[in-house]
Amino acid sequence: MKENNSTNPAGRVLNIQGYCSDDGPGMRTTVFLKGCSLRCKWCSNPESIHPKPELNYDAKLCKGAAACGLCLKAPFPQGAFYTVEGADDKVLVNWDLAGECTEELTSLCPTDALSMFGKLMTAEEVIIQVEKDTSFYRNTGGGVTISGGECLLQPDFTAAILRLAHERGIHTAIETAGNVPWEYMEKVLQHVDLMLHDNKLMNPERHKKWTGVDNKRTLENFKKAYETFPNIEFITRTPLIPGINADEENIRAVLEFIKPYKNVIDYELLPYHRYGTGKYEFLGKIYELKDFNPPSPELLSHLRGIIDEAFGRNTQGK
Amino acid sequence: MKNVTKKIAINIGAGYTPGVNAIIIGAAHAAYKLGWQVVGIRDGFEGLLFPDRYPDDGLVDMGPEVIERLNPAGSDALGTSASIDPFHVRTVNELGMIEEVDMSDTLLKNLKDKKIDAVISIVMGRGLSILYKLNQKGLNSVCIPRSVENDMAYTAVSFGFNTALSFTIDMLDRARQAAQSAHKIFVVEVLGEQAGWLALQSGIAVMADAVVIPEINCDLKKLGEHLNQKLTSGRPYGLVVVAEGAKFTVDVLVKAATLSSLKKSLSPLATGDDDSHAIQRSGKAAEFIANKLQQSIPFEVQPLVLNQWVRGGAATAVDRQIGLCYGAAAVRALDEGNDNTIIAFVPPEITFIPLVDALNKVRTVPAHSEFLKVAQTLGIYTGA
Repeated sequence: MKENNSTNPAGRVLNIQGYCSDDGPGMRTTVFLKGCSLRCKWCSNPESIHPKPELNYDAKLCKGAAACGLCLKAPFPQGAFYTVEGADDKVLVNWDLAGECTEELTSLCPTDALSMFGKLMTAEEVIIQVEKDTSFYRNTGGGVTISGGECLLQPDFTAAILRLAHERGIHTAIETAGNVPWEYMEKVLQHVDLMLHDNKLMNPERHKKWTGVDNKRTLENFKKAYETFPNIEFITRTPLIPGINADEENIRAVLEFIKPYKNVIDYELLPYHRYGTGKYEFLGKIYELKDFNPPSPELLSHLRGIIDEAFGRNTQGK
Repeated sequence: MKNVTKKIAINIGAGYTPGVNAIIIGAAHAAYKLGWQVVGIRDGFEGLLFPDRYPDDGLVDMGPEVIERLNPAGSDALGTSASIDPFHVRTVNELGMIEEVDMSDTLLKNLKDKKIDAVISIVMGRGLSILYKLNQKGLNSVCIPRSVENDMAYTAVSFGFNTALSFTIDMLDRARQAAQSAHKIFVVEVLGEQAGWLALQSGIAVMADAVVIPEINCDLKKLGEHLNQKLTSGRPYGLVVVAEGAKFTVDVLVKAATLSSLKKSLSPLATGDDDSHAIQRSGKAAEFIANKLQQSIPFEVQPLVLNQWVRGGAATAVDRQIGLCYGAAAVRALDEGNDNTIIAFVPPEITFIPLVDALNKVRTVPAHSEFLKVAQTLGIYTGA
C-alpha cells in the first residue's frame, strides 16, 4: 500500500474477482470489501462479515506436524495451533487463541494452508487491477461492481474507487443491503450507475430475526436513494430461502414497495444455495442455517412469474 | 498459601451436560464450610454482561436454602449460553449496525462491582481457552471439566461421560434387539468428534460387531468383510457403532469443489454441496457407512443417530459422585491458592492442573489402549 489520504483512501479488500457475470450487466470485475452490518444466517460469504483481517485455514493443504510443524512454535501465538494424536498429524486451530495471527505470520506457512482474509489497499491500487480488464467491459457492456460484505461501510474508499472508474469511462455498480447511515449511501451514490440492493424481508420483525436488525432504516434509505438520484438505475434483489422469505406475500410486498419508482428497473430473485458453507470450516465458525434447502424450480418459476407480470413482461413460452 | 476468597460465582459454559447441579451443590457446601458466599451466573457470563435482561439481575443466590432444594441429578439451576465468549459479543452499535465487541473488561468490572473474588466455571474444551484469556486479564478462576465425550486431557473422567455412556448403552441394547428381530444391520452414530471413547466403551458393553472411531482410519472393505463373515454364520443381524468424527482410509466425505459461474462470483473459496457436512455433521458418518455397506451386504443396512440425545436426562450415581467431588475440589483449589487451574481426576488423586497446560489437549483413544485390546479379544472390528 503506497498512500492513504483523502483523494486516495485505503480500505479493507477481501478479493478482486474478474470475469463475473452475476453482479450487473456484461462481464465485470467485482471488488469484495470486508465488513458487514448485518448477520444474515444464510450468508454465503462469511469471510466478508468482520471488518478486520481474519485467519483462514485450509486443512487439506497442511503437510502435518512431522513434515512441517512451523506454526506449532514461536513466533506463532502460544496455543493457537495444535495436533491431536490419532489418524493423522494435521494441525488444528484453536480459533480463540489464533485471533492474534497476522499476515506476516501466516506468510510463513509454506503450503498456504494458513492465510488471511482481508488486505489493506488504496483506491488507486484497486483501480489499477480493475483497469486490466477494460477491453472486456467495452466488448460486453460490463464494468466494475463493488460488493461485500457491505461496501457502504467504507464509504470514502468505495466512492474513491468508483470516482476513479468513472474518470476512466468504466461503468460502475454497487451491491448493498442498505443498513448504513444515509450519509454513507449518499456519498457513494454520486459515483454509481447501477445500484443492486437487497430487499431480504419486508416484515420488520422477521427481518430482525434472520438478519439481526429490522428493516426500517434500510427501506428509508432505499426510498431516499430512488428519489434523490433519479438518474441511477436500481435493481432490487431477494436472496430466496424457502421457509424464510420465499413466499408470495413477501414478493408482492417488495413489488408494492418499488412500484412508485420508475428508476427501479428490475426485481431479481437469487435462489438460496450452499456454496458458501464449506467456508465456515475455513474460519472455524458455525453455519447457523442448518435445515434449509434451495427453492424448487417450480417455486422459483412461480415467484418469478409474479415479478414478470408486475413488470409487464411476457413470460409465455418461458 | 491461603487465599482471601470470600465470595465465589459459579457458571456453566456453552453446551448442555446432564446433572451439573451436583457440581454446584458440591462447590456450595464446601464454600459454606469456609464461610464464603456463593452466587450463580445465569447463562454462561451473560447474567453479568446483560443484567437488565434478567429479573434477578443475572445472578442467582446460591445460599443454603436454595442449594437444599436443588435436584442433584438435574441441570436446571443456572442455564447455559450459546457461547461463553465475552471477547466477541454480538451487539447493535449506535449507528444501528451489527458488530462483535470485546466485553471482557466490562465482565471483569462487573465481577469486581459485585465483589466476586473468583469464578468456578464448568466448561468443555473451548471454554478453557476463553477462561485462559480471561485469566491473562486478571480473572481468578478454577475450571471443572465436563464432556459427554470424555475427551478432555489430564483427567481420567470428565463430568457427564458416565451418564452419556449409560444412556448410549441402553439405546444400543434397544437397537440390537430391533436389528435381531428385523434381520437388519444398524449403524448407530454416537458423539465423538475427535475422541472415540463413547463409541468404543459402549460398543464393548453391548458386544457390537464393529466400532468405528476417529483415531483409526476405517477401511470400509474390511469392515464389510468382517460383517459378512459374522452374517454367514447363521446370525442374520448386526450392530455397528460409529463415532461422529469417524475417518476413513480414503477421505471420501470431502471432495474437491468445481467452480460454476455462480460460485465464481461468490468471492473466493466458494464450495459445493459436497461440503454440506460442514453445515450439519450429525448423522453423516452413519449415513455414509450404511450406504457403503449396503453395496456389499445382503441384509438391509440402516443408519441411526443418537448424538445429542445423550445430553439430556438425569445424572447417574457415578456422575453425581464425580460432580460433588469436582465442585468441592474447585473450592479447595481456590482456598489453597491454586487459581487458574482445572480440576483433574488422576486416580487415585484429584489434582489441579495449570490451565495453560490443559489447552488443546484432547484425550483420544491411544493405539495401545487396553479398551481396543479388549474389543479385539471380543471379536469386535475396530480397524486396528
